[in-house]
Amino acid sequence: MIRYMGFILLSGLLAGCSGDAGDDGFAGLAGLERGGGANASAEVDYLQPGPETSLNFPEDFGPHPQHRIEWWYLTANLKTESGEPLGLQWTQFRQALQPRAKAESAPAAADWPLQAAWMAHAAVSWRGSHHFAEKLARGDIGHAGATAVPFQVWLDNWRLSGQPDSNLWRLQVSDDDLSYDLTLRIKGAPIGHGEQGFSAKSAGGEGSMYFSLVDIAITGEVTMNNETLAVSGKGWFDREWSSQLLKTGQKGWDWFALHLDSGDKLMAFRLRDDSGSFRSGTWIPAEGTPAPLTADKLNLKMLETREGVPVRWQLRVPAYQVNLELLAPPGNYTNPGLYPYWESAVDISGSHQGVGYMELTGYSD
Amino acid sequence: MTDSLLAVRGLSKHFISGNETVPVIEKLSFTLGQGQSLALTGRSGSGKSTLLNLLCGLEWPDTGTIVMQEQVFDAGRARGRGTTEAWSALRRQHIGVVFQEANLMPALSLLDNVRFRARLAGRDPKNSEDWLTRLDISELAGRYPDQVSGGQRQRAALAMVFAMEPALILADEPTGSLDRHTSDEVIRELFSLQVRYGCSLVLATHDAELADSCQHHLDLGHLSGV
Amino acid sequence: MTGIRSLYQRFCRTLLLPWALLSHYRRHPWQLAALAVMILVATMLWTGVSHLTSQARASLDQSEQAVAERQQVVRHDGQALRTDDFVSLRLAGVCVMPWLEVTPEAGNRLIGIDPLAARCFGDGAEAPGSWEQPLDGRPFVDIHAAATTDGIRESQLSLLVSDTTRAEALPPAYQLRRFSAGPDTGELGDSFLLNLEALGILVLLIAALLLRSVYLLGLTQRRNSFALLHRFGVSPDRVQRWLMLETFVLALICVVPGVWLGRWLAAGLGSGFGEALDNLFDIPLYAGQGQSWLTPALVMLAVVKVASLGDWLWLRFRQRLFVPAPVWAGVAAMLLLAGLVLAWLGPSLFWVFAAVALVFAGVGWLTPVAVARLAHWQAFRSEAPLVRWRYRELAVLVRRLTLPLVALQFALAMVLAVQALVTTFEDTFDHWLEQRLAAAYYIDVPAGSDSDEVANWLAGQQTETPGMEWHRVVRGHADFVDAGKADGQQVDVYALAPVSSLVRGWEFLEATARPWEHLAAGEGALINEQLARREEVGAGRTIQLDFGGQSLTLPVVGVYPDYGRPVGEVLLNADSLPDQFTPRSESYAITPGVPGIGPVVEAFHQIWGVQSLPMRDSDTVRELATGVFDQTFALTRAMTLLTLVLAASSLLMMGWVFFSARAWYFRLLEVWGMPKPQVAAQLVRLSLMLTGGIAVLALPLGIWLTWVLVHRINPLAFGWSLPMAVYPVFWLELGLLSLIIGLSIAVLMRRQLGRPGVAPVSANTLAGGER
Repeated sequence: MIRYMGFILLSGLLAGCSGDAGDDGFAGLAGLERGGGANASAEVDYLQPGPETSLNFPEDFGPHPQHRIEWWYLTANLKTESGEPLGLQWTQFRQALQPRAKAESAPAAADWPLQAAWMAHAAVSWRGSHHFAEKLARGDIGHAGATAVPFQVWLDNWRLSGQPDSNLWRLQVSDDDLSYDLTLRIKGAPIGHGEQGFSAKSAGGEGSMYFSLVDIAITGEVTMNNETLAVSGKGWFDREWSSQLLKTGQKGWDWFALHLDSGDKLMAFRLRDDSGSFRSGTWIPAEGTPAPLTADKLNLKMLETREGVPVRWQLRVPAYQVNLELLAPPGNYTNPGLYPYWESAVDISGSHQGVGYMELTGYSD
Repeated sequence: MTDSLLAVRGLSKHFISGNETVPVIEKLSFTLGQGQSLALTGRSGSGKSTLLNLLCGLEWPDTGTIVMQEQVFDAGRARGRGTTEAWSALRRQHIGVVFQEANLMPALSLLDNVRFRARLAGRDPKNSEDWLTRLDISELAGRYPDQVSGGQRQRAALAMVFAMEPALILADEPTGSLDRHTSDEVIRELFSLQVRYGCSLVLATHDAELADSCQHHLDLGHLSGV
Repeated sequence: MTGIRSLYQRFCRTLLLPWALLSHYRRHPWQLAALAVMILVATMLWTGVSHLTSQARASLDQSEQAVAERQQVVRHDGQALRTDDFVSLRLAGVCVMPWLEVTPEAGNRLIGIDPLAARCFGDGAEAPGSWEQPLDGRPFVDIHAAATTDGIRESQLSLLVSDTTRAEALPPAYQLRRFSAGPDTGELGDSFLLNLEALGILVLLIAALLLRSVYLLGLTQRRNSFALLHRFGVSPDRVQRWLMLETFVLALICVVPGVWLGRWLAAGLGSGFGEALDNLFDIPLYAGQGQSWLTPALVMLAVVKVASLGDWLWLRFRQRLFVPAPVWAGVAAMLLLAGLVLAWLGPSLFWVFAAVALVFAGVGWLTPVAVARLAHWQAFRSEAPLVRWRYRELAVLVRRLTLPLVALQFALAMVLAVQALVTTFEDTFDHWLEQRLAAAYYIDVPAGSDSDEVANWLAGQQTETPGMEWHRVVRGHADFVDAGKADGQQVDVYALAPVSSLVRGWEFLEATARPWEHLAAGEGALINEQLARREEVGAGRTIQLDFGGQSLTLPVVGVYPDYGRPVGEVLLNADSLPDQFTPRSESYAITPGVPGIGPVVEAFHQIWGVQSLPMRDSDTVRELATGVFDQTFALTRAMTLLTLVLAASSLLMMGWVFFSARAWYFRLLEVWGMPKPQVAAQLVRLSLMLTGGIAVLALPLGIWLTWVLVHRINPLAFGWSLPMAVYPVFWLELGLLSLIIGLSIAVLMRRQLGRPGVAPVSANTLAGGER
């Protein structure tokens, strides 16, 4: 899901406007944004989505080179053959250093252009331990990218790919001590959040385009430390893109994607700032039309923290008689990448039972 | 004038202390004949040491004239290299100075000190041992100044001074740091040698008795000509 | 009541003592300042030096890393690599990073890298650390900037992989190959740094000596206060304890700014170094300020304590064990002798370092004694009272200034040794480069290509081309058969054909008559120094090599120095290699003569049918390597000169203090009628004798130290020796410097004498009354 905070930092470093650029390996790219894109039409501006922007399929499964940031994101609440829960995440980000109109062709790979940087994350949580891997690449060379038709998102040998005229996707990830090969059976149409896919991110109207596939049946194999496990379960897939960065004062992000045993689904997020927070969400009933949830319909409360990270929450949506308690399993689920953040499965109790995923940013410092 | 060794006319010397000018010696005149002795007395700071320094050219008067062995040193005239050298030559050959302490080079034995001094004065250093014998310290010839007593050191200093066969001896409290007995002995030697070799002596002292032993007496506390 | 009173009295007594002790400094603030400045400057010096040493080490490490050999991926078919290859390898999961070397028409060579791709190398030791730095300059630039540089004359893409990558992990069309951006300087740099660290310890010793001299000076000048306290019933032990506390506090106060200044100094000098490295690589290869504050601060505190406490401990020891002075001199002489013998025969590095310590201890002990004796003897010999006085004064001076004099002697010796060492290293390094890079170009033979055809072409070409020289190099392994041992040891084989004039300039450690002719005729082999040392084989002996069952027996016709290579090597004529020999690699060394390398490259392309030739240009490599070493050497010189400056200024200060205390006796010369210019001349002669004498005495120590560093420590540590050279012009320079110090002391003293009113006011307390 959204990793605004991280991307602020990432884009700051890439654009060379971060004062302490030398602290990170990424600093190597400091100052490259201006010269990065060869002689491509530097006149093009970033596109900013608004309430009037609509979703288009299947194009919107592919990349949006005229937008600053976007990501493809999958979380999965799986079970091993013995019934043990296993959480899994895969995310691929694109960060533009220079916007490019969709119609315009990509710069020549032989020039090693740097119009965009790609980053991919893979994580598996099992029996309280957390495995994480990260990959980086520059765009337009060929070893990292995305296409809508056929649907492909890849970075090196990590790849999410769909078959034409099929609802089956395959996700392959391979790293030193973590790899997985999963089959995803996509059920149901994409759900647009907010106003037909435009999801506001502040009271001032800033926001991003955001849709999800909320009903995915997953089977496959996960290998950690040379041990291979057969797994199956349900997944949640997000697509989001924007050109706006966080509003000044916004500090972090709490996001939840929940599969309730009743068959209903619930997405809720909160952007924290100095004065309070901006809340939003979507109620996706088992039958019927999804309903956007504005801040007044959504109640979110921290109940318990673990080393500074809130791991137990109360989430209430009174309009739908929802009063849930969400709890992360024991362990530390920080993804220790360039920009660390928390990513864990949650167990649901209260008015409903179920499972889900939680992403928390901005607590690490 | 012809038989006078040293003549002082209208000698003045003052020091600057802060904004004040402190007169130390004012319009002093006296004459000292060959073979005569003069005692300088006065309380501390009355200018005894300053006068001795003036009399051997280590300091320079503000006004007045010093005639030493018929060489005229006039404060009115510029103090040039020639004057400095003339004073150096006088000290080297004719004026022996004895201080209260530290008259000897610490790195040289008593005998070597005497020889050094004699050689500087152009005398034959071979007589040096005789001088030590005369001053009754011949058995200490090979010792170093820090290996002998204060009285023996001063005897050695006297040996040095007489070894240079001086015309004038300037002695600045030469026994000031010695006990009474030793002091008497040393002073007796000084006077007897002075008389025997016919050199003049200017002796700065606190000791009234000692001052009386001199032919002349100049109390810098109550200035008067001699 | 009485309890309170006694408590109050104790309180007063406790406070009175430090008050009384400190009151000395209240009256003589300059003494306190001098002690403080000495601690501060000594701390600064040592911190600076140790910092520079660690920086020199880090810089050398980094530069070596930058030019060190790595692994690369090449295509089986020999075609040039393109972006597509990078993409296919990455998609196959191989961690590979692009290295795009471009040479523009104008300007320096650029190396383009992709920091994003380099991320997969991880943070471990094998990560090519330098591209984690900001790519703000050249030649390391972002690969896009390199690829789009204006007017590219030459461009070559290499794909680097981590050292752990195995060939099986590669897609079938690719294979692994060594990749090198420059020569591996091997152990030459390590050896240099080992010596540098040994010298750092010496600097610490010198700093300790200087501190001790200032401390002792302070003690001497406070002798009266101590005597007074003693009369008041304060035990010497209590005074000692308070003094310890006093020095500790003073050290604490001065060490911290000293460390800060030292780092500042090192940064100042080091940034020059960094700039020079930048010019070479155009990237901040220079290792910045990484060292902690704590280490130098603690070390200096310890040194200050030892310098001040040493006295106390030593006195106690001496009190208990009364030994007459000549016996001590005998002990010192024994130490010196033992050190000299041990340095000659010491079986290991430890013993040689111990020997150095013994020799320095002995020399430091004996020098003042010997000089004083010599002066006494001279005084005794002379009949002239003035000469006698002068020598006696010299003896006093030497005894009074023992510590700063010994410090100056050590510093001079160290500067001498470092100068010789550095110059020797420079020469050696030049030789090494000459030996390694005799030809202008080196071209590797691609795997599977026919080497003979190229050789034929070159042979044909050579007759027509003026100035052209070439030879083929075949490398591989053989077993060195030692009759006494069951298993032969593996040695590198370095085979040449033809034996061209490119190698004939090599210098030999030992050789038979006309070694090259024998080699060209296939009637002899050359071996490197390591093999000669290890197997104790010299020129004229016969060696046997085994090539997978087939053996070759040849006489050794020469032993060549092979600076820094730990492996034994045999140089043969390639034509005499047996059939069983499997070459590991083949290359051609070519100096193309008048037409340049162009036609050669073209011909090689045609013959081998490849687009890219792995070629190294020796000028670039040489430039790269010498630049780094030059800077390291400059840094070393700066460090030793700094030590010398400190030792000199300390002697200057102490000399001045001493002369001031003795001013009365020079004044006495004036009272005795010696003209002023003559008194001044005596002063000058005295101080020149002092500093000049010390310089002369430093000379043998310096030469000996050079010998130990070059001939003992290096062979023991690395198995190869450096040629020993001496530089008399530099001796003269140092001598001149010593005389300048002497003159400065005399000039200062003369000013002191010029002041009126010098008198033995209290001659019995006069510090200068020693004989």
